[in-house]
Amino acid sequence: MIKIAQLSCGSEYSGVQGEIERAATAVGAKMVSPDIDLEEVDKSVEKFGFSPTSPQLRLLIARGVALTEGRYDADAVFITSCFRCAEGALVRNEIRRYIQNHSRMPVVTYSFTERTKAGQMLTRMEALVTIVSRKELLARERQVGLTLGIDSGSSTTKAMVMRDNEILGKYWLPTGEVLSSASEAVDHALSEAGVSLNEIEGIGVTGYGRYIIGKKMGAKLIQEELTVNSKGAVWLADRQKGEATIIDIGGMDNKAITVRDGIPDNFTMGGICAGASGRFLELVAKRLKIEITELGQLADKGNYRKVNMNSYCSIFGIQDLVTSLAEGMSVEDVASAACHSVAEQVFEQQLQEIDIRQPVIQVGGTSLISGMVTAMSDVLGQRPIVPAMSQYIGSVGAALLASGFIEGGR
Amino acid sequence: MKVFIVPPNSLILYDLVERFGHEPLSVMKAIRERVTDLEIDSPPLNVTPEDVKKGLKYAGVEVPSGIRGRLALWGPLIDQAEAAIVMEDPPYSFGCVGCYRTNEMVKYLLRKKRIPILEVPYPEDEEGAKRMVSEIKEFLEGLK
Amino acid sequence: MENESETRMIVIAPTSDITPDRVVRFIHSLGRQLTIKETCYGAMIEGSKKDVREALSEVRKLDPNRIFSKIRGYPIGDTRRCRAHHGSRPGFTQLEKEWKDLSLVEKGLSAAERGEKVKEPKRKEKIPVKKLRDIIEEVKE
Repeated sequence: MIKIAQLSCGSEYSGVQGEIERAATAVGAKMVSPDIDLEEVDKSVEKFGFSPTSPQLRLLIARGVALTEGRYDADAVFITSCFRCAEGALVRNEIRRYIQNHSRMPVVTYSFTERTKAGQMLTRMEALVTIVSRKELLARERQVGLTLGIDSGSSTTKAMVMRDNEILGKYWLPTGEVLSSASEAVDHALSEAGVSLNEIEGIGVTGYGRYIIGKKMGAKLIQEELTVNSKGAVWLADRQKGEATIIDIGGMDNKAITVRDGIPDNFTMGGICAGASGRFLELVAKRLKIEITELGQLADKGNYRKVNMNSYCSIFGIQDLVTSLAEGMSVEDVASAACHSVAEQVFEQQLQEIDIRQPVIQVGGTSLISGMVTAMSDVLGQRPIVPAMSQYIGSVGAALLASGFIEGGR
Repeated sequence: MKVFIVPPNSLILYDLVERFGHEPLSVMKAIRERVTDLEIDSPPLNVTPEDVKKGLKYAGVEVPSGIRGRLALWGPLIDQAEAAIVMEDPPYSFGCVGCYRTNEMVKYLLRKKRIPILEVPYPEDEEGAKRMVSEIKEFLEGLK
Repeated sequence: MENESETRMIVIAPTSDITPDRVVRFIHSLGRQLTIKETCYGAMIEGSKKDVREALSEVRKLDPNRIFSKIRGYPIGDTRRCRAHHGSRPGFTQLEKEWKDLSLVEKGLSAAERGEKVKEPKRKEKIPVKKLRDIIEEVKE
């Protein structure tokens, strides 16, 4: 049983403690709380150096310090506090840093409201469990044998066929019905690779539709996208060793992940606001009556500063963009503002919860939109690495990790 | 009389209020009602998201859910309170009293009610304890 | 109301000679329909409000100023707050601290019984800025 230490304030009084425990149980883990003596609390707070007024946050700090000193045994850490609490947010992030500096446990932070449900935490918990329980598998750097990786995303479905660390065939299409989209992507990838399905030695599936597809196709690996995409990103960028930050902005949600030798040790996930996703850019393209593929080049020629955007919202924000057009701004400026809007939101919401490590690798469908990479460069102060085929991270990662299940391991 | 105690789970205050003939309003009472209700399944406290919404009576939606949830537990008790004893700077308190902002709000709600309130410091020595007990005794005996 | 169930913690001050074991045996001897559990600080009892309160007032007589009590939200043995699963309850460290200080409260109760007069504490006030400036000047020289 994987033990996830819970460092929290407010979860019981927000009615979400049960949801947290349900999410952990669903992925075969258990939430535990380090036992602390009263005397320890003040000592730990002093050692840590940040002294909050709320006693529960002081207890949270003491629990975190106890974990780093090995006085309590756990495999991973889940740090969570109320959304909109300033003191909670400061402590949450600083204790996360402290734990990362003093231990090697994977950590995830999360701020909840009373509306938070187990489902919203599931992928995060699953990733924590994968990192702990599949360490050896995640350490795999070479793909061996003939394997197929499928990434069933919310916006697009991708498939990739690999043999002995080489890409043989790949395909992507917009996600319609989950199973038929997957089967279409697989057929095309196999045909490009020139192999048939029965030759495939192992299948790996990730993304939203992973369970249903994985079951249907008898996949050896069915795994959440945080760990799989990280693996795919470092493989594609050829940065398997050392540290890196992966920014993955997909169709519906976004992820920021820090990795050490390709294995995540801290990550955050969006997914609440469409304004911070590829979907926002799709809506903008539609309103501008241009193809999404053109948006990036147009944005690169524009100046986002000219456009007044008062909201990140995919309704109000886009309304601002349309108004700007009516006021005489160019399509280029508006496209640039749209990309900036997404980048800024990712910066504010995701990148503030992790510590950026060099190099930064930008992946996911939106990394193909050059204006989106430019916007990310602006907020980061440097241009991220965008590997070739950066939209295929999930399917590469799945094919690579699935090869770990081939008999004999080769 | 019904006397609200702060911290609302204090053994010392609960005991003294009862000892001197009044009814303490404590958080244990509020929790008891929830945890013995078999219909609710939101462990461990059975505070549900619905409760947190009820907390909107005391604080707006921009206030963190943990504060609203705590206020949903204590608010109805504060509404019933006819007097209150507030212990200042207790050297402990996590969990229910773990949020400083909530604690300030609770004290404010009590003061706003214009009921008799006794504010006493947590005793650090024998003299302090004697003073605390005698003040509490006098306060409670004076409540009619 | 009287049939409503209640769980009580009976806490013995560290200065008392009464042991938790004695309290438990004493409550058993009262012959009431109660669930009784010995704890490090005393005992927990559970039953109808009437039985619990009557037993409590008997127990208190053993050592009135050194036996304390409060109600408990969770029934005895409720796993939702079990230490083995969740670490100690947030209220546990508080109880521990309050238990240690019960000997102070006992002194307070005894003093109040004797009608002892208690001195008003001197309230420390912050010194005026001018005075602080004078002190700084003084120290500088």
